[in-house]
Amino acid sequence: MLRYFKRMATDSPLVLTTFIIIFIGLLLLFSASRGMASKEGIFFKQLLWVLFGLGLMYMVKNIDYRDVKKFAPLLYIAILACLVLVLIIGKGAGATRWIRMGGFNFQPSEFAKLAVIIALSAFLAEKNAAKVHILAASLMIIGIPFIFILKQPDLGTAFIFIILFFAITHQAGAKKSHLFFLVMAGLVMSPVFWLVMKGYQKDRILTFINPMRDPLGRGYNLIQSIITIGSGGIAGKGYLRGTQTKLAFLPEYHTDFIFCVLAEEFGFIGVLVLLILYYFFFRAILDIIYSTQDRFGRLMGAGILSMFISHVFINTAMTMGLFPVVGIPLPFISYGGSSLMVSLVSVMLLVNIRDNSLMF
Amino acid sequence: MEVEKRLLGNVIKVSIGIILLRCFYLQVIRGGYYHMLSENNCIRTVETGTPRGIIYDRNKRVLSKDTPSLQLVFIPYDIESAEKEAKLLSSIIEVDVPATLKKLKGRYSNPFERIILKKKLTKEEVSLVEENADRLPGIFVQEGLVREYILGQSTAHVLGYTGEVNEEQILKYKEKGYKAGDVIGQDGIEKLYDFYLRGISGGIQVEVDARGHHRKELGRKQSLPGNNLVMTIDQTIQEIANEELGSRHGSVVVMDPRNGQILALVSKPAFDTENLHEYFTRGGHPFLNRAIKGQYSPGSVFKIITAISALETANIAEYDRVECTGSITVADRVFNCWKEDGHGWVDINLALPFSCNVFFGTIGMKTGVTKMVEMARMFELGKATGIDLPGEKPGSLPDRSTTDALNLSIGQGPILITPIQLVSLISTVANGGNIWKPYLVKEILTPAGEKVKEFAPSIRKTVFVSSETMEIVRKGLENVMVFGTGAGSRVAGVAIAGKTGTVQRAHRELELDTQGFFVCYAPADDPKIAMVVFLDRASGPIATRIACNIVKKILVPKEEEPEPSEAPEKTEEEAANVEIL
Repeated sequence: MLRYFKRMATDSPLVLTTFIIIFIGLLLLFSASRGMASKEGIFFKQLLWVLFGLGLMYMVKNIDYRDVKKFAPLLYIAILACLVLVLIIGKGAGATRWIRMGGFNFQPSEFAKLAVIIALSAFLAEKNAAKVHILAASLMIIGIPFIFILKQPDLGTAFIFIILFFAITHQAGAKKSHLFFLVMAGLVMSPVFWLVMKGYQKDRILTFINPMRDPLGRGYNLIQSIITIGSGGIAGKGYLRGTQTKLAFLPEYHTDFIFCVLAEEFGFIGVLVLLILYYFFFRAILDIIYSTQDRFGRLMGAGILSMFISHVFINTAMTMGLFPVVGIPLPFISYGGSSLMVSLVSVMLLVNIRDNSLMF
Repeated sequence: MEVEKRLLGNVIKVSIGIILLRCFYLQVIRGGYYHMLSENNCIRTVETGTPRGIIYDRNKRVLSKDTPSLQLVFIPYDIESAEKEAKLLSSIIEVDVPATLKKLKGRYSNPFERIILKKKLTKEEVSLVEENADRLPGIFVQEGLVREYILGQSTAHVLGYTGEVNEEQILKYKEKGYKAGDVIGQDGIEKLYDFYLRGISGGIQVEVDARGHHRKELGRKQSLPGNNLVMTIDQTIQEIANEELGSRHGSVVVMDPRNGQILALVSKPAFDTENLHEYFTRGGHPFLNRAIKGQYSPGSVFKIITAISALETANIAEYDRVECTGSITVADRVFNCWKEDGHGWVDINLALPFSCNVFFGTIGMKTGVTKMVEMARMFELGKATGIDLPGEKPGSLPDRSTTDALNLSIGQGPILITPIQLVSLISTVANGGNIWKPYLVKEILTPAGEKVKEFAPSIRKTVFVSSETMEIVRKGLENVMVFGTGAGSRVAGVAIAGKTGTVQRAHRELELDTQGFFVCYAPADDPKIAMVVFLDRASGPIATRIACNIVKKILVPKEEEPEPSEAPEKTEEEAANVEIL
């Protein structure tokens, strides 16, 4: 198994960058969890997740991604069932996002992203998205889980669904004018939604857009997050020497705000290194997408790429006050098994697309 | 194809570029400023607090409210030496050293949030703390709110008490916005309705300089006071019940049999919300609300069920007689009546008022355990009533394998009932068959007085018992007070219908210890109140006397207390004028 991964890493820049980013993530989690009694266990838990994830990768290495296409409808229905279940019995801070299974929390909305990518790609693999009825059907496929996720409410994931829809349909040949019409329709509809919303719901949305409306809660967190990043300076305060993170100003340093730990302890140089790694990671995916002739593979690849880009962008942007704070993890780095599993399976699918494209 | 690829490539470059530019701005250009802010920890939040909702009785008299007081607070980040400061504090004012130390050393998600160390400081304490201010960095006096309970221990078990959230509660209620230092209802109405009573605390976020002076206000949040509760409790009746129970251990519940509204609920011993810690270690279970959590054998009160089930299953008729010689022998076991020389030939009309054990034992054996338990279950005994208080116990009913008909017929043996279930039982007899759900909160109002929620009376179940049977039982209960076991406590001017009960518990040291019960309703022909009095280590007759005194004070106006010879009709008219009903 070890030899397999060694070959993979030298063979594929995608897998190599993935492993390096995972390693950086573990370093940061170790720092974030140190000295916090309540978070002591998370480093080891994540280490276990990484090992489990590698095992999972090894297990699925021989599965042809084209077989996944056959199971797409089944996968889609299963994930819809999970999303409904989460609305009924879910748990989570302020919103219902998790299902508790055995000793760990399972977050269906993470899996839903990949499931929807596969379902939509499978649907459009033999169809032309330039036709209006095909585009409308695509909108339905993504719309149903979108509404369930909005209901949780998980605004971040819902937003990513919108990106996925445009990325995949555009790749599948949808007309620019149609897509533009959909964007405009969405913009026109939004005031209607605003009017039917209740006062407290509006309040929540406004706070979501402008955290300073709640200066003791979200606003305080955001200011602390920005101070943490800024205080890292050019070279950072040094590994394990972050003062802001150690004083625990933010409750979510190990999950959504893990970027702050990097920025504080490794400074602008650390940020630069990580972003360059992500850049190579994205480029590697891009090369895979355009190396294959298989339409399903290409659509899926485009979906996965836009999923990763939007995660990295939204997560880092929100910690710096450029984007509303939503629950979007930083791929391979934020603490959490669901997100890591989905990311690793996605990487395996891409590797598989590449391996099969070479045979043409 | 190449165009597509270039487009996606540009998306990647732009996304990463934006992040890098922002980081460059924050870390390289503004890095020095943020570094300074992080060094001095200049952003602080100051909570302004908000009053908890007021709890009113049914006539809008205040039972509980927040009042201003001076309190000792600290900022975790500014504490220099927790040990030294705790020691100094304990030498100048009265504080619990281990608890204080634990608080000072605690980890808080926002280390600049003020945490309360001690409430209700006296003037001397304030000046002592201020004299030592320079040796107590991070600790100071500030104005705050303290919860006040107007009736004190009388309402302790109904209203409960408030306290700071503990660690377990923080984890459990994190999503509802509770954080360290917040006040939460810990028992009773305060706990159950905490969500409505607690307001939203306001506060400001400020940038301070190194000396702690405010330099810039960054944001402000308006506070929102909590909602007010209007209870079904009547302050006057609550006070009467409390006085009459006195220092005895036990409980009194007064309910309106027409709708299930609880007019008074007292349980003793109780606790003092201002010195809670003293009571945590005190004997006698002061935190046990005996009315809803105490499970007891009902004793002779259960004869109501025995009578109804025997009559309804036609195992006896109204004038069937049994001879009581003071005891009966069943399979070598001698079963004694409480009256040694016996009651002679009695039918149900005499046996109920006299509470004749031999009569009830005989008809109980005829009816059988199964039928009696069935009837008890029909009246919802051995089951929580659903009153809006936390921690109600269900009690339990026996079956044929755990008890025999003889024991069960007089309410002895493994049958456990709570006082609130007994008041529900007697109410049902009083109103002819409706089992109302007992409840304590009538309305929830906003501070401005708008209705948030209203709780209407609700029927749990309607029991179908023939009106003949009900009439016989009600007549019997009325005669308890005319010539039966309760006659000694008769109240002039009000006809009361009730049933006594005394249960003997064999103590370890073989001393006999008794518990006394009395359930009743009044006025007998038009019931407006139903009541249970339960006494630990006392007998039924004492419970009867207490209950009758309470009825008298509620239904008979003091000044116009009639002579015993006066016609009852008139006093009943007067009784109807009493405002509480």
